[in-house]
Amino acid sequence: MMRRRRFLEIGAASLAAATRWPQAGTPRRLADHFLVPMDETQSDHLKAYGLTYRLLARGGKAEWFLNYRAGSFLLPGDSATARDAALAGVTIEPVDSGTVFQIKAEIAQANMDAVPLEKAPKVAVYAPPSAAPWDDAVTMSLQYAGIEFEKIWDEEVVGDKLRTFDWLHLHHEDFTGQYSKFFLNYNGAPWLQDMVERNERMARKLGFKDVPADKRAVAFAIHQFVDRGGFLFAMCTATETLDLALASDGVDIAASFADGTPMDGNATSKMDWDRALAFQGARLEQSPSMALYSDIDGHQVNSPDRRQPLGSFTLFNFSAKIDPVATMLVQNHRQVIPDFYGLTTSFMKNRLKPGITVLADEPGAPWAKYIRGERGQGTWAFFGGHDPEDPQHQIGDAPTDLSLHPHSPGYRLLLNNVLFPAAKKKELKT
Amino acid sequence: MTAGRILALGWMLAGTALPAQERPQVPDPATRAFDLERRGQHGAAAEIYRTMLASRPADLGALLGLERSLTPQNKVADMVPSVRRALSGGDPSGALFGIAVRVYAVAGMADSVRPIVDRWVASEPGSEAPYQEWGSAALGARDRIQAKAAYLLGRGRLGRDALAAELAQLATIESDYETAVREWLVAVEKTPAYRSAAVSLLAQAAVAGRPTVLRQLDQAKTRPAERIAATLTIRWGDPVGGIRRIERAMPVLAEQSIEALQDGLDEIRGQAGREFGMAKGIALELLGAKAPGQATRYWLESAQAYADAGDQGSARRMLSRLAADPKASPTMAASATSTLVTVLVAEGKMEEATKQFGQLKAVLAEEERAGLQVRLAEGWIRAGKLDRAEQAVAEDSTVDGLAVRGRIRLYLGDLGQASSLMRFAGPFAGARDASVSRTTALSLIQVIDEDSLPALGGALLKLERRDSAGAAAALEQVAAMLPPDRGGAEVLLLAGRVHGGLGSRPDAERLFQQVCGLKIPASAAAAGYELARILVATDRKALAIERLEELLVAYPTSAVAPQARRLLDVAKGAIPPG
Repeated sequence: MMRRRRFLEIGAASLAAATRWPQAGTPRRLADHFLVPMDETQSDHLKAYGLTYRLLARGGKAEWFLNYRAGSFLLPGDSATARDAALAGVTIEPVDSGTVFQIKAEIAQANMDAVPLEKAPKVAVYAPPSAAPWDDAVTMSLQYAGIEFEKIWDEEVVGDKLRTFDWLHLHHEDFTGQYSKFFLNYNGAPWLQDMVERNERMARKLGFKDVPADKRAVAFAIHQFVDRGGFLFAMCTATETLDLALASDGVDIAASFADGTPMDGNATSKMDWDRALAFQGARLEQSPSMALYSDIDGHQVNSPDRRQPLGSFTLFNFSAKIDPVATMLVQNHRQVIPDFYGLTTSFMKNRLKPGITVLADEPGAPWAKYIRGERGQGTWAFFGGHDPEDPQHQIGDAPTDLSLHPHSPGYRLLLNNVLFPAAKKKELKT
Repeated sequence: MTAGRILALGWMLAGTALPAQERPQVPDPATRAFDLERRGQHGAAAEIYRTMLASRPADLGALLGLERSLTPQNKVADMVPSVRRALSGGDPSGALFGIAVRVYAVAGMADSVRPIVDRWVASEPGSEAPYQEWGSAALGARDRIQAKAAYLLGRGRLGRDALAAELAQLATIESDYETAVREWLVAVEKTPAYRSAAVSLLAQAAVAGRPTVLRQLDQAKTRPAERIAATLTIRWGDPVGGIRRIERAMPVLAEQSIEALQDGLDEIRGQAGREFGMAKGIALELLGAKAPGQATRYWLESAQAYADAGDQGSARRMLSRLAADPKASPTMAASATSTLVTVLVAEGKMEEATKQFGQLKAVLAEEERAGLQVRLAEGWIRAGKLDRAEQAVAEDSTVDGLAVRGRIRLYLGDLGQASSLMRFAGPFAGARDASVSRTTALSLIQVIDEDSLPALGGALLKLERRDSAGAAAALEQVAAMLPPDRGGAEVLLLAGRVHGGLGSRPDAERLFQQVCGLKIPASAAAAGYELARILVATDRKALAIERLEELLVAYPTSAVAPQARRLLDVAKGAIPPG
């Protein structure tokens, strides 16, 4: 029998050997593969996505084991990956080819699948040039995970630069051009003045008569991006206002502070929902002073008498082999996740178009939290709420520090979306 | 829930709670339905209530039960026919009108609500309940305009002070703080019990709206206004300001001053921090002046609060007042002296503190005596009189006493004895920072071979006595005497940290570089991290990133690895600064 001290010495020696990574030159093989577990044993779930993304960016290949240990990744066992994991603090497990074979056999027999990841998607985030990274959950998670992205705004979108990207994220932008309808409540606030001035300048530069017209043109360009095969991920109020902008072509849905004329009193009946991605039949909010847009949102956070309390939402379980896209988007180590507010927090189910897939909802509530669908050659996902780790989110709140939330299940959902376009096309059956 | 509804519910429950000897073998339908409700079987409960209503359409208990059962099923609108039947039979009660208003509102029958309210008003002309129920139902249906119209109609008919609380709540929701304050003051004047509701709703005012709230309250100059303003001031983070506001308002508050101060103390209770301690001290001092019968107790507590907040002068003032009071009991006097010892130690008046303690020692409880002995010893350490410190705790075998004796031995350079005493004291004695510093000292001693090292003790004593510059220089000299892997690197690291704390970055950087070069794993990793912190703070982020990556690759299992990763994130801009 091995004595405890001897056992510990051997263990310590192997650990030391395994952690002495070469620092330069050609990546050296340290193991056949590294498994990046995504269950409770993972020390940093969010950075695990960055580790995988950077491997793809270096030209490497990976696999995403859907539903296996909460959506693990299989990466090559080279020294560059090991070094990157050590720097990021991501848990990796060296596995030999025999073990991988066993894992794949298990995957073949259960509601799991192995999806090859081949190409790092080129990522764009739609945000004004001056926007701080800390007020947008996706930007924060990309920064934290170490995933490269480029910021684009109206000029690039209208100028067709979207063609150069695979993945586009929208956050709390107001595509109705009404500055999130904060105009009356925050009148005089420097940040709002800056926002108004910047948007008006851009609208003039691009030749639009006002900001709502500029934003509608941007919404249509984004729609075309999806049609052509792009991946769109939107959160918070970008979800609702994108569809409102698309459906309101030729209808004045903006208050007078945005375009000089009051909103059309019959706007609700004039909307053409065929143009929208996700929603239909919504009733528009007529009051310019209420910071909400329609009855699409189930929570109505800015309406004191209609505001709904936060609960928890539950991720749906999909068949990995039949519906790998939906399965990828809900990979998580938690199935029930505390809800969080945004200017748009959730989506009333009675306002969803037929054929939309609900990825998560609050059991018993009439709203969905996370939805997806397809348009033309592309696909989109909408996630309600502003910041999964700041449930109340008030203007002026301290920014979320993701190093304090490395296991955030809400943020994982965002990052699933980033890696989803990396999946090999033939594997995407829906 | 309106008063009428509460009464009706109570009536129904009373009906279901018969004495055991009178209870029939088979529970009556109301009892069965209520049991089903409690078990969450709302559908089955609703069916029983419907059966009851078939034979007795105006059965109030059954109607309320049906409403309760349908609410979680989101089917309240289904009971419109039942309500119509009930209303058509005879002389409806206020409770029935209330049900009708709620049900019609939920069913979206706004046009039917008004006639019901009118009938209700006709049967109870002076009551606020019809308007309250109407407004509340309108709010439930998300119609604030209708709710306001209902309340204002009621006010128009019932007089200036009617429905003030309802209008106040509505104005608060709408962020109309001027109206909210005005209406709350009317409501509280009429019904003082509304004060806590007023405070709790007004406290939620947006930061930008708070000056408006306070200005309105200032202008009112009434007792309720002063009390609400004081509580809000405390709740919005200015506890001293809140208590001072009460003090200024005492001529207006008159006999309510004591209650107002006690309210203030309730707000402060459980809150930590110097400002809260000071506010507590002031409030207790004012209470002492206002309640002569209990003045000594308040003064003592006030002195303790001032001392805890670091205001030794005010603490001493309270204690002097107490000492001069012939009515103070011996126990109170002892407690006062005990607090005085603490104050004297904090002021560095060690001889006087020791003398006071000597006079008091015999009457103190053991735990209190031990606590004061430790404080005295710490005071003597800070005075540099280690022999006097050791005398103070010589007979103390409590864990706190052992911990202090360990520190004294350490400062005398007796590392062997210091280590033993600190081990005996364990990791939990004393406050958390003392415990952390003891554990740090113990880990430093453990790597040093020597049992006696007076130079190290002297250097650490300088640190304790806040002579950081002298301590850093002395620590560097000690490090030079020790082999790197037997304490040299650790002591040098400590010297670097002391330089860092002093803001002497070049010296700190030099020492951290030196420790990194020694490659003693734990010390080198820690020094690498400290060095990277300086590099980030001086905006040399590329160098910091390089240093941190080296650290994480060379010492991935180091205790500082998680912090180093976090700093790496900061340096790369992956997380918000600060």
